[in-house]
Order: sequence, then structure tokens, then C-alpha cells
Amino acid sequence: MEDIGYKIFGAILTTILAFAVGMLYGGLSRKIIARIQNRVGPPVYQNFLDVFKLLSKKSAINHGIMQHFAPLWMIAMSISTLMFIPVLKDGLFFTNLNFSGDIVFLLYIMVFGSLGMALGAGQTGNPNSAIGVSRGLTQMVGFEIPWIMALVALMIQYKTTSLTGLLDIQSESGTWMMFSSPFAFIAAILAMPGMFRYSPFDIVGAPAELASGPISEFGGKYLSLMMTSGSIFAFVKLTLYVDIFLGGASNLIELVIKTFILYLFPVLWGAVSPRFRTEQAVKYFWGWPLFFGVLALLYASF
Amino acid sequence: MTDILNTENKLLEVLNEEFKLLSGKVKRKCRVEITIENEQIIPVLLFAKERLEYIHFSHMSCVDWIEDGKLEVIYILWSPKEKINLLIKTKVNRDNGNLPNIDFIWRQANTYEREIREMFGLPFDGLVGNQDFILEDWEEIPPMRRDFITDEYVSETYFERPGREDAKDVREQILGRTDEDLPDFAKKYSRD
Amino acid sequence: MAYDKDSQSIVDYIQNFARKHSLFVLAYGTGCGAIEIPPTMTSRYDAERFGIRGAATPRQADVLLITGYLATKSLKRVIRTYEQMQNPKYVIAFGSCTINGGMYWDSYNTINMLDKYIPVDVYINGCMPRPEAVISGFVKLQGEIQAGRAEGWKRYQDNLDEYRANQKKIIKNWTMPDYNW
Repeated sequence: MEDIGYKIFGAILTTILAFAVGMLYGGLSRKIIARIQNRVGPPVYQNFLDVFKLLSKKSAINHGIMQHFAPLWMIAMSISTLMFIPVLKDGLFFTNLNFSGDIVFLLYIMVFGSLGMALGAGQTGNPNSAIGVSRGLTQMVGFEIPWIMALVALMIQYKTTSLTGLLDIQSESGTWMMFSSPFAFIAAILAMPGMFRYSPFDIVGAPAELASGPISEFGGKYLSLMMTSGSIFAFVKLTLYVDIFLGGASNLIELVIKTFILYLFPVLWGAVSPRFRTEQAVKYFWGWPLFFGVLALLYASF
Repeated sequence: MTDILNTENKLLEVLNEEFKLLSGKVKRKCRVEITIENEQIIPVLLFAKERLEYIHFSHMSCVDWIEDGKLEVIYILWSPKEKINLLIKTKVNRDNGNLPNIDFIWRQANTYEREIREMFGLPFDGLVGNQDFILEDWEEIPPMRRDFITDEYVSETYFERPGREDAKDVREQILGRTDEDLPDFAKKYSRD
Repeated sequence: MAYDKDSQSIVDYIQNFARKHSLFVLAYGTGCGAIEIPPTMTSRYDAERFGIRGAATPRQADVLLITGYLATKSLKRVIRTYEQMQNPKYVIAFGSCTINGGMYWDSYNTINMLDKYIPVDVYINGCMPRPEAVISGFVKLQGEIQAGRAEGWKRYQDNLDEYRANQKKIIKNWTMPDYNW
């Protein structure tokens, strides 16, 4: 019984931690990009203020029940994905639910959030939303392939499909997965900016592209839910990378340090690069990252 | 002085030979003005474009002579070879006047003709394009005609903001200034 | 609650604090003054340190900038844009053309006083105001929001009939949906 109590309390704590860290990283990225562009940026807590302001709008204009439902779907999916990732390796609160078919399950559930947004954007009837959704899904076809190849290579090499299995292997052998299967790491890292939707792959949600694509008819409270779910999902992806490749974390400070170092890669690359078109993005993903993914598969089989 | 205006005078002679001009004048260096009848517009323009190589259509505008009851349309052509502006003027009736459409010679004349049709009310037969070009839902007479009183229309339709209570009339102060009041750097550029 | 700060409740204080520190400006340049917006938003006269960033659609925006004169054609589109924004919303008017007609006061096509058609919160004078003046206008808007005085949207809702009468006098072909939010 107290196990369940600890798990529920751990779930609530994990959600609050993901929200706080995700928002803080968003504000930090704006500050870093501003300093790169030789100006003073907004304060670090700016994303919190954005969310509070959007929650305090007095009217919620929507075009139907599906648009009302879409941000709730997105945030529910983000939190559900969060529940299946062990945030810390061992400890009372932060190891969440996990079972033996973890990785395959995560690969599927990470895509559900965008499905909700696509349905909601479809109901609004705005042609910008429809084109933005099709672009987003096309780009997703691009980056999913090297990412899945890397994970499949890991599953073949270590003969396990559970995240805790991978964590145990890393702590037993003492080296991180980054060094013992380097090609998978390179393929997954090169596919990472596509997942985060930063430059140069931000054609889906950028304000100058098609009036910001799928989110063009969402305002006020719906937008605040979408921003929140975006930050939680960013934390989910970062923690997943840390668990698979960087050996997990045994206390919160180590987790924050490792995720921040990993997060600097898309931010710094994004600050200095222009935007790719959809077909250029897919061509990039099916170039070098795919090559490293195939190398990883070969390395894992022999 | 006249041999400097050689090409301009030669141009006027050539045009006088080919067509019957109502009047022709060399205004100054690089500017020649001729006045023709309505029916001669297309032949003169085609001749100027094909034979004399006045290939660039600079501008087309309209003047309202309300005392004579006529609208005057002016075409301005430019030749990059001889570098002369050629101004071709015609006059039409104000009420029922009609001019041919010179769209097929230069395509950019379409825009100028649509503007004249909307602002002066002068129809060009065969002109293709939206009736609403610049103004939307305009129900008065065409606004560039001289019998459209802008002041009355503006004071009826739009609001006027009352002035400030401490508003001062500074015209006397400005007009009464003489040269001795100006500072040194302004004397260098003052107009005289 | 016993806590009162300048006769405002604590919830209002926190809401106004959040609203004033994150303004989303609609990227719509209505007149010739829109050329002063890009320098304000980029590196030299950085407006992002106040939390101001650009928004793409009226549904996501808070502030509408009317930068300069408004012909009757653009007034119809601006009204439709203003009514699509979500409450609470603010309007900042740039330049002397919105104050009293400016350089185009006697033109048959441009309006003279903007306040009769859309409620305005802050005027910035100049022709066009420089980026420093624009930022000082935003700071003044922040002060008004914190004090609870930036209530243009409430004025529009309460006096909708008057505003509609003024607008319909100029815009003759009225094809817009009813304002019901």
C-alpha cells in the first residue's frame, strides 16, 4: 500500500519538476539566444509569466468541441509519457512506472500528442493549420527513421527492451552507452533537433511561416496549455536521452546538469542557422543520420 | 544656341512630316511637346515606339480644364538612345469623352489607365481590370475632378479634433523674421 | 482577503503583473510607421527584455499597433482584426495621423480621429516616433495596465452601438460578423 502511495506522490512531484524545469529551460534558451545576438534578453522566468498571462485571458474563443479538446489531449499525453520514464535511477519517489516492453511502447506514445493537435487544428477550418499539420507530419517521417534505427540497434546489441534494463547495464559495466555504442549515439543526437522543433527545423510552428501553422487559431487558455505541454515534453525527451545514453542520474543535481548540457546542442545550433524547408529537412535526415543509423545496426549485429 | 538643340528640332521635323500636329514645340533641351487629335493617338504612339525607338513609357497623366469643359491626357515617352522626353497631349470632352486603350503597346499602361478611369471618370474602351482600384465603395463623383469640393466632403464625413487651449499663432513670429535674426550657419543656406 | 495594494485585490495585482510583463504584439503594419517596429524589436533597441514578442495571428496577440494613417479600406480590415483578438486587449496609436489627422487631415480617404472608431489606450506622438519613443510608449502602457486603467476593451463592449454608428457612416458595404464576444 505504501508503495502505491509513494508512486502517486512521486507522479505529482515528477509533473511539477518537469513543468518547472521545462519552463526554466525555455527561458534560459531565450536568454542564451539573446546573448548570442548581442543583446540583453528577457528574464529567465519569462515563460512562467507568459503562461500566467495567457491563463488570465477573459474569453476563450473556439470553433467546436474538438478544438477545445485538443490541448487537453496534448497535455495528457505529455504527462502520460512522463510517467513511464525513470527520472532517477533509484530512490523513493522518482522512479516511475516501467515494465519490460518499455522502449517500444515509448516509441509509439511519443507521437500521440501531435495527433491531438492535428485533430484540433483540423476542426478550425483554417487552411494555414492544415498545411502546417501536413508539414509537421512530413518532417516527423524524416527524423523518426534515424531515431528508431538507433534504438533498435541498442535493443539488438543488449538484448533488452526495457529502460531499466539499459540503465542496469550501464551501471554494471561502468561506461555510458555513449561510448559503448557510439554510432547509435551519433544518429540519435543528429536526429534530436528535429524532435525539439528548433531551428533549422522549426518550419511547423514559427510565427513567420504560414501564420504559425497548426496553432494559428488557438489563443488564450488553449495556448497556455500547449506551451506547458511543450515544455513538459522537452523535459521528457531530455530525460530519455540522459537515461539511455548518459547513464541516468542518481540525484536531481546530476540530472539537471546532464540535461542542460544536452539541451545546449539544439539551442546553440539553432541560434545560428536559418530555416530548412520541409523537403530539405527530410533530405538532411535521410542523409548522414541514416548512414550512422545503418552503421549502428551493423555494429550491433556483429 | 540652336545647334545644341539639334536632335530635338530634327525630331519635330520628322513628326511634322508624318502626321498633322495641332502644335509642336521644343520646350527646352531633352523635352519636346506635341498636341494631336484623339484619332491619331495609336498611330503616333506606334510610330514613336517602332520607328523612332521611343521604347520606354514613362508616365501618363490627366489635367482637368473645367473652364473649357475638357480633360487633357498626356503621354510621356523616353528614348534611351537619344535621351529625349517626348510629351504627347490630347484633349477630350469632359462629359462623354472616350479614349482608345493603348494596353497592347505597353502593358504597364494598364495601371495608369485604371487610375485615370477611377479618379477622373474617363472611360477607356476595351480596358480590362477591376473597377475598384484604389477607392472602395465610392459613391460620389470621381475625386480628382475640380468640381469635387474636398473640404466640404471631409468636414461632413470625418471628425475634426478641437485644438489645444494654449494654441498660439506663430505665423507673425516666423514671417516677421529678417536676416539679422538668423544664426550664422542658416545664413549660408538661406534662399536668395 | 485583507491584503490590499493600492486598493486592488491581490489576484488583480498578480494578473496585471503577468499581463504587463509579457505583451504579444500583432505583426501587422497598418501604415507608414510600421518601419519603426523592426528596429525596436531587434538587437539595438531591444524590446524583448520587456517581454514583448511578436505574435502571428490575432487570436494569440494582446496589443494592436496602429502605426500611422488609416484609409477607409484598411479601417475595415483593422476593425475585423481587432474584434478577433481575445480580451483583454490594448491598442497603441503611433504618430500624429491618429491624433488629429496629421499630414493627411484634409484627404477624402483617410480618417482623422482614431478614437471614435476603435478605443485607444496610449498615443505616441511623432511622425514617426523613434524606437526610444516607442519603448517609452510601451512602458507607459505597462504603467496603465498595472494601475488597472487600460480598459479600452470594456469601453468597446459597453458603447458598441456608438462605435458601430461611427464605423458604418464611413464603411458603406458592411459585410462583417456581429461582435458577440
